[in-house]
This record gives sequence, structure tokens and C-alpha cells, in this order.
Amino acid sequence: MASSVKYLRVPPNSASLAEARRRVFEFFKTACRSIPTIMEIYHLDDVVTPSQLRSIVASEIRKNAQVTSPKVIDMMLFKGTEELNLIVEHSKQRHHILGQYVLGREDSQDIGTKEQGSEFLKNFFRSNYF
Amino acid sequence: MGLGQLASRALLRSARLAASNPHHQFRRAIVTTPELHNSAESAAAEAHPEPDLPKRNPVAGARVHFPNPDDAIEVFVDGYPVKVPKGMTVLQACLMAGVDIPRFCYHDRLSIAGNCRMCLVEVEKSPKPVASCAMPALPGMKIKTATPLAKKAREGVMEFLLMNHPLDCPICDQGGECDLQDQSMAFGSDRGRFTETKRSVVDKNLGPLVKTVMTRCIQCTRCVRFASEIAGVQDLGVLGRGSGEEIGTYVERLMTSELSGNVIDICPVGALTSKPFAFKARNWELKGTESIDVTDAVGSNIRIDSRGPEVMRIVPRLNEDINEEWISDKTRFFYDGLKRQRLNDPMIRGADGRFKAVSWHDALAVVAEVIHKVKPEEIVGVAGKLSDAESMIALKDFLNRMGSENIWYEGNGPNPNADLRSGYIMNTSISGLEKADVFLLVGTQPRVEAAMVNARIRKTVIATNAKVGYVGPSADFNYDHEHLGTGPETLTELAEGRHPFYSALSNAKNPAIIVGAGIFGRKDKDAIFSVVDNIAKKINAVRPDWNGLNMLLLNAGQAAALDLGLVAESEKSIESAKFVYVMGADDENLDRVPDDAFVVYQGHHGDRSVYRANVILPASAFTEKEGTYANTEGCAQTTVPAVPTVGDSRDDWKIIRALSEVARVSLPYDNLSAIRSRIGTVAPNLLRVDEREPAAFSTSALRPEVKEKPDAAPFTTVVDNFYMTDSITRASKIMAQCSALLKK
Repeated sequence: MASSVKYLRVPPNSASLAEARRRVFEFFKTACRSIPTIMEIYHLDDVVTPSQLRSIVASEIRKNAQVTSPKVIDMMLFKGTEELNLIVEHSKQRHHILGQYVLGREDSQDIGTKEQGSEFLKNFFRSNYF
Repeated sequence: MGLGQLASRALLRSARLAASNPHHQFRRAIVTTPELHNSAESAAAEAHPEPDLPKRNPVAGARVHFPNPDDAIEVFVDGYPVKVPKGMTVLQACLMAGVDIPRFCYHDRLSIAGNCRMCLVEVEKSPKPVASCAMPALPGMKIKTATPLAKKAREGVMEFLLMNHPLDCPICDQGGECDLQDQSMAFGSDRGRFTETKRSVVDKNLGPLVKTVMTRCIQCTRCVRFASEIAGVQDLGVLGRGSGEEIGTYVERLMTSELSGNVIDICPVGALTSKPFAFKARNWELKGTESIDVTDAVGSNIRIDSRGPEVMRIVPRLNEDINEEWISDKTRFFYDGLKRQRLNDPMIRGADGRFKAVSWHDALAVVAEVIHKVKPEEIVGVAGKLSDAESMIALKDFLNRMGSENIWYEGNGPNPNADLRSGYIMNTSISGLEKADVFLLVGTQPRVEAAMVNARIRKTVIATNAKVGYVGPSADFNYDHEHLGTGPETLTELAEGRHPFYSALSNAKNPAIIVGAGIFGRKDKDAIFSVVDNIAKKINAVRPDWNGLNMLLLNAGQAAALDLGLVAESEKSIESAKFVYVMGADDENLDRVPDDAFVVYQGHHGDRSVYRANVILPASAFTEKEGTYANTEGCAQTTVPAVPTVGDSRDDWKIIRALSEVARVSLPYDNLSAIRSRIGTVAPNLLRVDEREPAAFSTSALRPEVKEKPDAAPFTTVVDNFYMTDSITRASKIMAQCSALLKK
């Protein structure tokens, strides 16, 4: 499974926020390009579509939208690249992908968007113990 | 041989070690606070030698009641003076003095056998050690429990008992809670001298509940005495003598008592153990949770032993006022029903008639949408047998907010007397039944309806020769009784004083009338109650110092439901209902519900009512939630969660609270304490947990006059199968076996 991303490296520090931003987009593109491979090696066709995976990657990146320091962005990029490598190299198993990226977030998005109830109702939908 | 040599070698080595290091045994005396050891107090204590014995307290907080102060005698136990009433045994005197005497055959609630000889103590001026359980204490007796003679005697007895006891503790279910194991560690010799072969005994078949390994039996005869004295069945007995002595059923037959499981608890060894629990768990890996039984209206105190998420067994807890230390077989063995037929996901019935699992969100949204589409008077709520007070008040509040007044508790019949508490609880109290001298049982078979109440009546009958009169269909009693008749006309005869039993009733000092809750279902119940009231008035059963007019309820939630006023507005509401909220009510006849009605089933078991449900909301069982239950004598008690809930289920009151919010009529409580304060505004007696709250008024004077006469129709049997009465017991495999084998 010698894919191109395997040898991808994060070069030394970005000089400015603009450069860091450009690198983030490059990383996103790399990730999007590896999605077909990921779909194949983890047999994800029956649970998720490529476009859903793309939006999952995007939401992972947007989680850190508030970060402005190039140094921090570089570090997170490095970690992201590492994670992507692990996934593409099949160092993970199917349930890792499902648990980490596919399943849990659906619920949390659901609860976040659908419910306008009281604290009790939110807790009730989550579990019996509160 | 090998073991003995090893042991002696180890002893030798330790002796040599001690010899080579003479300071070894003094090491613990070296302390850094010498001033504490030479303080003024210790010097004072040495100066006055009288209080040289440290104070001892009675074992397990035992208390003694002196019926007549003149009968007190003083004995000395290990030098301690202790006052006990005349007639107490030496063993009981030792208990009061704080000395626990080892014993096997002696049991507080059984007659004295005195055959195990383990309780031997030395009594001054007595040539031999005496069996303390059988020897009455005499004035001035000087009892010594820890002398070399007593210790030697116990060691000898232990050696004899272990002679024929197999060494199978590692595979014995009693291991870890075995009296023989514990006492042989404490009082036995460290080696045996017995080299011959052990005897073996054929195992007996006592039925699906009690497993026997009779080789382990030490012939204490506790089980024999229990069966004949408490359970009232003459099934067990002693056969043979000497080394051929065996416990067994005389002929090949099962033990047919509803209390047979208690022989497991009283057996001091592993001869009688629980068959369903056999080889399932070790007692030290179990977590005990002190809770309440809900299979009948007695509310027996139980301990739920669980391992992880699984209930492994149920054992009784001591409560002198309710179940003493016994529980019925149903209580003890129904727990496997908690693992079968459970509902674990919210489900909606699709167009094809099959259930489909959905999220809580969707299920509640569907229910809330439907409930707003029907007229308020077409909404109906039925609370089931096992409902706790919290969920019932939540259901009532919710449906009241939706505009409906038709909420009832199944089995209460139309228009129950919920106005005055004395009209539906056991006013005498369960323990108070012991003071009664004549019983009149009306349409109730206590042996199957409330086994522990029956045990109490039996105890009274045996102890004081109280008379029992019974009006109802032919039934099985384990004590002497008079079958007076089968229908209300016998009651009328009693009320008019024409019946021969009337003289017994009217001559009684403390007559107790017990009316079964099966009468609630009859059309003429008001007439019957007025006749019973008449009898009570004539025989003076309701006085300021004695209230002998009792109802015997059938189900765990019944008293709380009546306390909370779960009474339907109209009798025919279910026939015209469009929306039926069934909260675990599996014995309500849902055939009467119109076909186009929407039925919501909230409950923990897929039992009868689920077949008619449109939406299923999974709830937690009583072992998984905190709930308040009031028993038949009106004593509120709470269950405690022992295991986690199954699947995606939720506590009953939480489901209704969440549904109320989705239906936009939010109930104003978010937690247990808030819902309990709401209960407090309706029925404050339900908050006084573990305390029996007597009813304030008596009904007989306050009930309206009833003109019509009772029907001639005889009373019917209410509980036809003791072992299967509710959704949990119906799901239990053990209970199914019991009903197949033991039901007559």
C-alpha cells in the first residue's frame, strides 16, 4: 500500500498565517484524494459515502478554526498528516474509523440541531443516568 | 500423612526461629508514646479492680423483654452478671452477655433440638459440659464459655462432625458462607485423626428449587423443624439412626411448600443449596443491595445479590414487622425472569404490523403527536401491578394535564374505596396479626396471595390456638381452619348472628377480619363491604386499641395507587378510548380497546399487553431503579438500584416526564426529590419510608349506607397460579418449572 501520502512530510515552520492556511488546504486536498483508498481498504461503502467522509474531514479541520498561531497550526497539521498516514497505511482497523469518525458524530450533530428541550430532556435522550 | 509432616516441620521451624530471636515477640511492645501507657487513667484503673472487665454489648443488639419483672434471674457469663427472664436458655443468656456461642442445630425461630452439641459450655458445679441451647438458665448459674474444657469439648464435637463431612468446600455452593467452614476454622482442631472411609448418602430430589447433597448433611434437623413448624408441610423427616441417620422425604415426593426456599438459608452446611444458583457464582464476588420485593403486596425485605449487570440471587433480609427472616419461593427464585423477554429499545409498530426499533426522540415525538390528536376524554391510562409511586404520580399528573381523568391501577376494579386509607390497608399490621385470637378470612387465600402474611397467621394459630374461619372457594391451608361457606350469604348469616362461627367471633378478644382484594373486582363489592362492616361492628373488631378490619391487597403498587388516587372517572372509558397509555399493565384486558385506538406500552417485559401496543417504551425493572412501594399494611419502602438498566431503557417516571415535555405540557419535576415532594402533597405517608403509617380514621362509620343485597355468586379464586402472577414471574423459567411441577 505504497501510497503517495506515505512520504508526505510537513516542512519546517510556516512563515506566516497565509502560508499555514495554504498548507491546511493542501492537507485537505491530500485527505480528499485518499478517501477512495480509505473507502476500499476499510469497506466503508455500506456505512458512509465519500462526500460524507469529505465533510467529516472538513468538520475536523473546522473544529480548530479559531486557531491563529502558525506554529500551532503547523503542529496540528503534523498530527493530522500522521493520522492520515496511519489510516491510509491500514494501521487502523475498521472499528477505529467507524467509532472515531463515522458513528459518534452523527448523534452529536443530531442532538445539537434537533433538540430545543430542557436540560432534563437532553439528558434523557443521552442516557438513563443523570 | 504428608500434610501432617509438613505442618509439624513448619511448626518446628517457627519454634526454632522464635528461639534464635528472643526479642522477636516483644517487638510490638516498643512504642513511641510511652506517656500514653503510663497515664493517670490507667493507673486509676489499676487501683480499682472492680471494673476490670471491659464492657460487653449483647450480640447483634439483642434486647430482652421481661414480661414479669419478678421473673428476672441473674446469671454470670464469664464473670459478667446479666439479668434474664426465667425460662431463657443458657445460650440466650450468653447472647445477652455479649458472647456468641457456636451452634448448628439451634435457631431462634425453631424449636430446640439440642443434637449438634456444638454449643457446649462449662457451668460451675456441673460434672460435664452442658448443651447451652437446651439448658434453661438458673439463678446464680456461673457459665464459662472460654475455658479449656469448653474449648476442648467444641474441638471434639467439630472432629466428630467433620468425620463424615466431605472435603468438597472448593466445589460447594455454601463455601464462603458456611457455618461449618467458619466454625471449624474458629473452634476445630488443626488436624483430624480419622483414617477410615467417610459415609455417603444418596441425594434426595426436593423439587426444582432446592438442590441436595446429602453427604454434606450434619443432621442438625433445622430443615425438618422448619418444614413442620413454619412451612407447615410434613414432607421432611429423619430416617434411620446412628451412622445411618438421613434427612429426607419419607417417600419419593417433592417439597410442596411456598416457603421451601428458606431451608437453603437455615441449612448451616451445603447440604441444601439453591438449585438455580448452583455453580453460578461465589458469594464473595457478589454485590448485595438491600431492596424490596414486588411480586406481592407484602413488600418482603430482600437483598439482591448481583455480579456486574446480572442479578445472581435474592435472599431475605430481617424485618420483624413484615417478613421476619423468611421469603416466599416466588420472591427468592423469580429473578431469572429479569433476564428474559426484556424490552430494550423504543419500538414503533410499522404498517406491516412488525415492530421497528427507533430512537427515543422519534418514539416520544410520535406519542406526543398522537396524544394531541385525540379528545381529552378519549385518553386513558392504566398503571400496572409493579408500578412504583413515582411513576404513578407522574402518569396521573401528565394525563390530567392532557385533560383526562381516566387513570387507574389494574386490578382495583371500578370505583375502589380510595377515599379513606383504612378501607384498603391491613389496619392490624402484619406483625399485629399475632395478637389476634380469631381470624375471619373473606374471599382470600392468603397462602397464594401473600405467603408471608399466611406464615404470620399460621404462627399465631400454632402459638395461641387461634381459630380461623374461611369464606370462599375451597382452598389449601396449612393450618387448622373452618370452611364456613363459599359466598356472600355466609357473610350475611354471620352479620345476623345466625352462623355457628359467630359465637367464636363475638367471644374473641382481638378478632381479625381479612378481606381479599379479589372482592374489588366484584360488582356487588359495596354491599359486601357493608356486610363486613356490620360484622366488624357487631363483634367489636374496630376499637381504639385494636383495629381488626383488614384488606389484604394483591400487588406491590396497589396501596400506593389508592393512596395517590388512581381512580378512573368512568367505568366504560376503555371501550371508547382512542389513546391508551399502558404502564406495565399486563393483566388488563386490552381486547376491550377499540381497534383504531393507539396503545402505548411502557414497561420492562414483552408480556401480554405488548401484542396490542403501537409504541413500546422500554422501562427499567424494580432491580434497576429507585421506587417507592407501599405494602398491604401501608408501610412505604423503597427499592434501590442493584444492576444497570437493560439496553436503552429508562426509569418509568423519567419517560413520562420526558414525554410530557415533548407533548408541551412539561411536568414540574426533574429529579427524584422533586417528584417525591410532589407525592408528599398527595400522600405524605408514602414519604415516611420504612415506617408504618396507620390509617387516621376507620371507614365503617363513615361509609354511605348501601341498600342493595350482595349477589349470591360465590367468591372466586383470585390467584390461580402462585408462581406466575406478573410480567417478571411469567418470564421466569424457574417459575414455569415450579408451576408445572408443584401446582396441584
